[in-house]
Amino acid sequence: MSDESVAIDSETVWPADSEDVDEAIVANWFVREGTAVTAGDPIAEIQIEKVSIDVPAPATGEVAAILVAEQAEFRRGDVLARIIPR
Amino acid sequence: MAEADETEQTDGAESTTGRELTMSRAMVDAIAAEMRTDDDVFVLGEDVADYGGIFDSTEGLLDEFGREKIMDVPISETGFIGAAVGAAQAGMRPIAELMFVDFFGVGMDQIYNQMAKNTYMSGGSVNVPMVLMTAVGGAYNDAAQHSQTLYGTFAHLPGMKVVVPSTAYDAKGLMHTAIRDDDPVVYMFHKRLMGIGWMPAPAGPKTPVPEDDYTIEFGEADVKREGDDVTVVTLGLHVHRALEAADELDGAVDTEVIDLRTLVPLDTETVLESVRKTGRLLVVDEDYHSFGVSGEIIARATEGALDDLSAVGRVTMPDAPIPYARPLEQEVNPGTEDIVEAVRDLAGTADE
Repeated sequence: MSDESVAIDSETVWPADSEDVDEAIVANWFVREGTAVTAGDPIAEIQIEKVSIDVPAPATGEVAAILVAEQAEFRRGDVLARIIPR
Repeated sequence: MAEADETEQTDGAESTTGRELTMSRAMVDAIAAEMRTDDDVFVLGEDVADYGGIFDSTEGLLDEFGREKIMDVPISETGFIGAAVGAAQAGMRPIAELMFVDFFGVGMDQIYNQMAKNTYMSGGSVNVPMVLMTAVGGAYNDAAQHSQTLYGTFAHLPGMKVVVPSTAYDAKGLMHTAIRDDDPVVYMFHKRLMGIGWMPAPAGPKTPVPEDDYTIEFGEADVKREGDDVTVVTLGLHVHRALEAADELDGAVDTEVIDLRTLVPLDTETVLESVRKTGRLLVVDEDYHSFGVSGEIIARATEGALDDLSAVGRVTMPDAPIPYARPLEQEVNPGTEDIVEAVRDLAGTADE
């Protein structure tokens, strides 16, 4: 993994009204490893207590790694993916 | 009218951006694009605004277009579908959402006696350019009043075009076509294909979706997989189950899978071409067995290619209310293994 990659940290998209929840699932990835992304575009959708939240790309670049599979559970603060900025 | 899209869709094809959309997002993409360019397009239905449609069919539209264009309505199918019919006749292009197709009974007079017939009964002096979109299908234990597809019911009654997408790519193109059509279109989306978090979709419906607008003509079935031995004709969720079955049979039976995409108009020619080649036809339908899509496809195949046919069959839901209990519903809803078995049977390779 390149040192230049940017982590997509689930903490940054955690909704304020789900403070007391610390588990979620990845409902959908809209990209694969290697897909070019534009900062701000939704690249995934996570679900916390039946609420869907879009995860925007934090930078323009390429998806280097997807670390949580679709339908897999993760914990608040887990890194979902890494992006190499361009 | 936009030109028909000519992009070939193949597995893993790169779209213009590399993004892959769920079927619900692809539908919303098309609705939003049409609303941006045509002020007459608006959406009304139960929970379409704040909630974004209970199966995400209108997710995010309220934020962009506001409550005048994305209208939550009371539980009043006769009222709001009737309002859509009137608005359409007055020149607008409403998209009304019937939350579950199973609720058709409470609004059927407006759907069938008004929406579907008014152009004919007015001698062509009014058009009814509206879309009635509705969630169909089971396989998630929602019982007999929330799990039907009713494809045959709507396709049987004249005056409505009937659309059943199976992938995100198709859903977007067909939605553009539906909204632009000057006649009423019933757009039936399968809940299991939408890609909502609490109801995982199979692997197939999420596809690359171009950002640009494109249309898919009605009446053009799509050969989702080519094969020489057996033709499987299906639609909706069962396109994906048929493709799974075909993969499982790979090497034993070369299975062609045809996705009808629209029931009205129906692309009989693609079905006939295929059965002339394979000589064997299996229809897979999540709707009830009798008096429906499966019988119609088989009838058209026998009318048009009787001499080429050596075997026909169908895998369908039995003529009974859909059970709530998981093992019972799994038993009656056609599964991949049921399709495998039926194809083997037709191909004459069933285990003795």
